Amino acid sequence: MDQSDRESSQRAQTPAHRDMMYCHECHDEWYRDEHGLTCPECGSDFTEIIEEDHDPRNDEIGNREDDDGSMPPLEERPPHLHPLFHHHPWRDNDDPEEGDLSNFQWRQTSPGTFAVTGTIYRTVSPSRGGGGGNQNVQNPLMNSFATMLNSIVGGGRPGAQRQGQSDEAADGQATPGANSGPGIGTAPGGHRFTYHSSARLYPRDPDHPGPRLEPVDELNNVIMGLMAALGEPPGHQHNHGPSDHPHTHPLNPLATLFSHLIPGNGAHGDFVYSQEALDRIISQLMEQNATGNAPGPASQDDIDSLPKKQITTDMLGPEGRAECSICMDEVNIGEEVSELPCHHWFHHPCVAAWLSEHDTCPHCRQGISKSNENENSANATSGSSSGAAGGANTNASNQMPGAFGITGEGTLDHPFIVSDTPEQRRGRSSSDRQGRPSSADEGNSGGSLSERLRRGLFGAPR
Amino acid sequence: MSAGAKKRIMREYGECINDTPPGMKINFDEQNMTEWEILLDGPEQSVYSGGHFKLKISFPTEYPFKPPVVSFKTKIYHPNVSNDDKGSMCLGMLRPEEWKPPNKVVSVLRLVHSLLIEPNPDDAIEPSIANEFKENRKEFDKTAKDWVKRYAK
Repeated sequence: MDQSDRESSQRAQTPAHRDMMYCHECHDEWYRDEHGLTCPECGSDFTEIIEEDHDPRNDEIGNREDDDGSMPPLEERPPHLHPLFHHHPWRDNDDPEEGDLSNFQWRQTSPGTFAVTGTIYRTVSPSRGGGGGNQNVQNPLMNSFATMLNSIVGGGRPGAQRQGQSDEAADGQATPGANSGPGIGTAPGGHRFTYHSSARLYPRDPDHPGPRLEPVDELNNVIMGLMAALGEPPGHQHNHGPSDHPHTHPLNPLATLFSHLIPGNGAHGDFVYSQEALDRIISQLMEQNATGNAPGPASQDDIDSLPKKQITTDMLGPEGRAECSICMDEVNIGEEVSELPCHHWFHHPCVAAWLSEHDTCPHCRQGISKSNENENSANATSGSSSGAAGGANTNASNQMPGAFGITGEGTLDHPFIVSDTPEQRRGRSSSDRQGRPSSADEGNSGGSLSERLRRGLFGAPR
Repeated sequence: MSAGAKKRIMREYGECINDTPPGMKINFDEQNMTEWEILLDGPEQSVYSGGHFKLKISFPTEYPFKPPVVSFKTKIYHPNVSNDDKGSMCLGMLRPEEWKPPNKVVSVLRLVHSLLIEPNPDDAIEPSIANEFKENRKEFDKTAKDWVKRYAK
């Protein structure tokens, strides 16, 4: 957002402007109308009103060039709740030396906005034997994370040991013992890596006190920084310490970590990381809801009132024979069958068994219920012209969600189309009489995901 | 299982014998006619060529109102066959919501046969295999052939 936009929107939210005070002694901030000009915290008079064009805090930050805690805290929760509380690979190391910080720059890009860039060299040694990594050995995820960190910080060890390390990373098994031991001090064995970060700082909202956390750094960048520390992708800053060694890349421990995060098919709990996994979840949901989306049973009245019909010669196939496609029994001339509105016919007991669970024709899926007929035609409409679907939907009043009501009228843009005329159905049913499913039916039985989705949402095409 | 269903299965068996898709043999046990064992030779033109696969087709008691269940007893590397001890194949007409009583076992057998020749990665049960099939066909073919050698000889 543009700076001016931001300010104007802030002003719009807070009609009454309140002066914000700042204490140069203890860096406290308060409202002037609440505590006056003297710092309520330390009682100092060395205070200043924060103004939009002059924010004393910016100067303060800008002056702290030697401040290594330059990153605003990303999260502030009690240390015992922090999952990595016990994991302190750098527990025994001092904070970075002043000389480790270089290229540290503050640049004002616009009033109140600073770009901060800096390079921090940290020399670290792996955690001692009792380090946090061990405490989570039973947890593969944490274990893997420990492996990663150990690999990062232990990267500078001699070649032979690195070999062993690749293996250990491959297993996802941390062997902290290999990383501990007296020989590894801070300087000689330590591996230096560069973490490059830039952050934008904005002034706090004077009217809404409280920490304002701007995104300090993209997680990607942080991870890329770690990758760079491993010597992974070229083009990223990385720096080898005094014990510079030939490039031997251990198996990327990050990969091991992510393989734990994303097992096999990429699904992890309720989260997915790939299109396939999403497809699988959608399929699963569709299958769970299959009965919910499928048409319910036809009413007994509708089943009972199906017209009965006697088999005549013209209902037989070209070979002079026909069968009920449910029980596959041959039918003879004069035998009584039940005919559905779509003109497909079956033995009455056969089709009744099916209809009592699904209100669809076993062949073409058209429903038999009178109340359903409208809905079915509307579905046919939405199937044949997607534009009509929206139009029909806006006119649907008392339909279930996802069902479309029929209006029976169309506009010039969205004409009302009856996709299947009775004549066509009759033609199709005669081809079915030869005991061969029509090609349209076979098309329905395939199913790309989108096709299934559409069918799941809008009902099976009829 | 109703007498009508048994009759239909018998009838379908008769039809399948007369019209078995190429490379398939049906072992039918009249005592247990709801479980068919199919011996299937990998189609010549497919990566499964040379393999001998054993399938089971189970008919639910509600057959033909519910679809038969197809499972591969022989391990096969295929996007549409689940890579577990079930080896189930569930797509197209075999899907419960897709199944229609007029569908026949012989068309199920044809579906299996055609899927061995041309897997359907867009309706896969194994997304990772489907992805490999689409993105890295060479690697897929290699693994599939390797599995034929290992499991389907």
